[in-house]
Amino acid sequence: MNLENRKYLLYGLVLFTSLLFIFKLLYMQVIDDSWTQRATQIAEKRREIIPPRGIIVDRKNRKIVVNKISYNLMVIEDRIKQLDTSAFASLIGWEVKKVKQRFKDIVKNEGVYKNPATGKTESNYRADRPYPFVKDLTLEEVTRIAPRLTDFPGFYEEPTGTRYYPYPGGANILGYMNEVGRKEIENDPFYRPGMNVGRSGLERSYESVLRGKKGVRYIVTSATNNEIEPYADKKFDTLATPSPKIKLGVDIKLQLYGESLMKNKKGCIVAIEPKTGEILTMVSAPNYDPNLLSGRKSIRKNYPSLVSDANLPLFARPLQAEYPPGSIFKLLQSLICLQEKKITPNTGFACNKAIVGCHDHPAATSISRAIQYSCNPYFYAAVRRVIQPNKYNNIYQDAENGMNVWHKYMMGFGLGKNLGIDIDTLAQRNGLIPNSLYYDRYLGHHNWVFSTIRSISIGQGEIKLTPIQMANIAVIMANRGWYYTPHFVKSIGKKGPLKKYRTKHITPINRTHFDAVIEGMRRVVYEPGGTGKEARINNFIVCGKTGTVQNGKNKKNHSVFIAFAPIENPKIAIAVFVENAGAGGAWAAPIAGLMLDKYLNKVISDKEKEQTIINANLMSSY
Amino acid sequence: MRQPKELFSNIDWPLLIGMFALMGVGILTVYSVAYNPEHPLLFDTSQKYGKQLLWIGVSLFLGFLILLIDADIYRKFTEYIYIATIVLLIIVLFMPPVHGARAWLGFGGLGIQPAEFAKISTALMLAKWIDDTNIKLQNTRTISETLGIVFLPCILVALQPDAGTLLVFTSFFFVLYREGISFDPLVFSVLRYFPRVKLKTTWLGTHFIPFFFFLMVLSILSLFLSTSIYYPFGISLSGPLFLILLITLLGLLFFGFISFFGYPRNKTKNLVVLVSSYLFSVFLISSITFFFNNLAAPHQKSRIELVLGLKEDPNGADYNRNRAMAAVGSGKFMGKGYRKASVSSMRTNHVPESETDFIFCPFAEEWGFVGNLMLIAIYLFVIFRVFSIAERQRSVFFRVYAYSVGMVFFYHFAINIGMNIGLAPVIGIPLPFLSYGGSSMMAFSIMLFVLLKLDSQRRDVLR
Repeated sequence: MNLENRKYLLYGLVLFTSLLFIFKLLYMQVIDDSWTQRATQIAEKRREIIPPRGIIVDRKNRKIVVNKISYNLMVIEDRIKQLDTSAFASLIGWEVKKVKQRFKDIVKNEGVYKNPATGKTESNYRADRPYPFVKDLTLEEVTRIAPRLTDFPGFYEEPTGTRYYPYPGGANILGYMNEVGRKEIENDPFYRPGMNVGRSGLERSYESVLRGKKGVRYIVTSATNNEIEPYADKKFDTLATPSPKIKLGVDIKLQLYGESLMKNKKGCIVAIEPKTGEILTMVSAPNYDPNLLSGRKSIRKNYPSLVSDANLPLFARPLQAEYPPGSIFKLLQSLICLQEKKITPNTGFACNKAIVGCHDHPAATSISRAIQYSCNPYFYAAVRRVIQPNKYNNIYQDAENGMNVWHKYMMGFGLGKNLGIDIDTLAQRNGLIPNSLYYDRYLGHHNWVFSTIRSISIGQGEIKLTPIQMANIAVIMANRGWYYTPHFVKSIGKKGPLKKYRTKHITPINRTHFDAVIEGMRRVVYEPGGTGKEARINNFIVCGKTGTVQNGKNKKNHSVFIAFAPIENPKIAIAVFVENAGAGGAWAAPIAGLMLDKYLNKVISDKEKEQTIINANLMSSY
Repeated sequence: MRQPKELFSNIDWPLLIGMFALMGVGILTVYSVAYNPEHPLLFDTSQKYGKQLLWIGVSLFLGFLILLIDADIYRKFTEYIYIATIVLLIIVLFMPPVHGARAWLGFGGLGIQPAEFAKISTALMLAKWIDDTNIKLQNTRTISETLGIVFLPCILVALQPDAGTLLVFTSFFFVLYREGISFDPLVFSVLRYFPRVKLKTTWLGTHFIPFFFFLMVLSILSLFLSTSIYYPFGISLSGPLFLILLITLLGLLFFGFISFFGYPRNKTKNLVVLVSSYLFSVFLISSITFFFNNLAAPHQKSRIELVLGLKEDPNGADYNRNRAMAAVGSGKFMGKGYRKASVSSMRTNHVPESETDFIFCPFAEEWGFVGNLMLIAIYLFVIFRVFSIAERQRSVFFRVYAYSVGMVFFYHFAINIGMNIGLAPVIGIPLPFLSYGGSSMMAFSIMLFVLLKLDSQRRDVLR
């Protein structure tokens, strides 16, 4: 037997093993990616850096929303080693029972889901994830607790921002923040348990801007989960980008002043800069100090009482309340009639109280005077020419046609639809401008004529406007026929407002028709028999229109006033709505006057009026 | 005494260079894996790299001494060396255990592992035994005595316990196979019961060792594949069927090979062997699969699954292998770069023993597939060089020793890298010249330097 040939077996064995290794290595290192992923899982950790939330300033660069640092005590259950519960409880100043309960609550709050793979119900809670154990610790509390946390592995402190409002106003504009829910964490990779998210107002609508961009740090960790070094010399790391400063058109001083005027009253003040569409002030009364809903401790303490308050302080009236506009609507009716050539500026109608109620006043011999006296029969007669123009022999057909012409104009004023203000779009209401279909639905097709629906001619009946829409009417008057969509945010960092707030909306009324109507508004404030003389201020000519909204039987009328000033090159347009206060001239006009005085003259000339308004308490009438 | 010039003139330089290359790669890898920024100097003996460098120095000094001594000395003192090692292996059993094994013999602060040196002395003893008697290794008594030389240290090592070294000792069986050991007596002791069969030799007895080895590999392979499913050519096949398909293809290949190129004289015999091996393999695969899937108790099954890596237990029993494979795999094609290992570096410590038994991990992680190819090539070169040295010896003593060295070296290479890449169970044996540690460094150096010395004097031996 030739033994030497057996060496080939040995050679073959070595060669075979080497080739096997090479193929296995080729598979592991080059073809298959899973071991690389596993290595990443083992040794590399992704640490997120969350930038501080963006701050908000007003039009004068006053900081109105800033961050106050607070801390969460976080826990990762997997890292806990033999927790001395009683020592830990005494450290954080809790009872032992509460500590144990808190662990259970964290698991419970995470909820359960049905695992599609196993068909079993499993908890969303993960022992390897951090959860906030104690929330919103102050700096003092943390400096006491933090040094001793080394005795309790698994617990660590994490800074988190709480909002602070140096000016305690504008709560309904700014909104509030609260902890993210599990669904939000699942749907948006930005969020982690314990983080806050904007729940209403600008905090919500500008959430994606305010939260900034997360930075990521990749690190190499050891088997004991300590950080060893930056991964790949920080090649893949990104810096956190905080939100640019958000600048509002709001004048916080004016806002606070408006809120003080509306103290103990229900209603709204909305002021807009006509040139830009920037909202200067949006008061919703009653309101609350935004600091009451900053931080989870405060929210837990204050939210229940705010939400159950019968006067609805959390309800943003300027955006969400729909009121009949009353006589301020006559401004738009005048414009439509003029545009439709149904009247001229000098057309007069007799004040026939048989048709619709009116008060005693000199004859309305022109459109300006009709506005000055707010003559109801005048507008009944004028609007009738638009809606019931006798174009068709069939009076029903005639009214239907006229109604739709009228409706189109109204839509052109931004009414009956969501204006699209940059705040909580879903919470804004449309108001209501009826068209022929609307009446067909309620009264039947060809079952109504102008006289059936005549109250709309004086802004009553089915008509509903939100206060922001009323302010926008003042803007349209001030601009003589155009408006920008009202908005809060003036600029985000260096960028101006969004494109949709830089698009002019032109109303379908010729500019020339405004002169007579604005003359009427001037007369309202300055001529004898005008209803809005309380809105007069020094140095500037105010144009306004009062409204006294009938509000069902046994209830006091709503008091409305819209105005702009000065008459040439207007700087401010305003709408004031005071619920159940009485005549427009009695309450809304003086409030508007004070606001205009404050904004344009910076000083209040009539201190007595100011005090009367501030001290007035109308809450008993609600 | 010879002149120094003459002393080195017959040295096999390629093997020596291969050895130096491995030592170089080794010290670089140890430096990378154990790097301590506070002691950046390679020569700092307070660090593992400094110590390893020291061990390399000591080993080279020992190697130099070995080259100075006449080769005849080793032959003359073989029995004493063997007995001394056996005594050390007995003494070590009375030492305090380190990591659960009584493997270390302490001298002050330093320790050595006699088991490492037992490989050399067993190789020498085996060589001398086979050479001296000049037997054909075919009768029961000589076979028993020969196996006894191997089994004696085996038993002592098993008592430590040291499964790795025990496994390495089985490498000597391949050497015995090369030297023509026959297990016919064992086969005949069975065939006795079949009086009609009259054979002088049997194929099974002659090739018992590779056959047994093949049997083991096939068994493990069929267990490994018993629960998996493969998709060759788009057909879904269970693992064992896939294996049978592979073996059938391989069998057909051999069949063709034998039919066309085989000596006509041996053709029939070879075909009989082929067909019976094929049928036996299929039977073995089927029965093992059947046993595993139907008869094994659940706990046995899960234990087997765990050992074979069929079941994932990445943070428990499978921790080492899982971390090691992640480290190797993450090296990708080009590696992460020198001193950039993130998984297997001692700083992160995800792979335990990454400077000793798992040193292949940091190497593979830092140098990638390309580096691995080169490292395997160096090992392949060294092993083949040792085999070719073995084949050129005139003396049986030299040849057996050389083959023993080659096979021990191969075993360390195969088991160590195999466990690093999940092809072998986790058994702690060092990777020659790469793993940190004085005993293995010195043992492998002595082993190869003795070989070099014997080889350099091969012409002095009369046949």
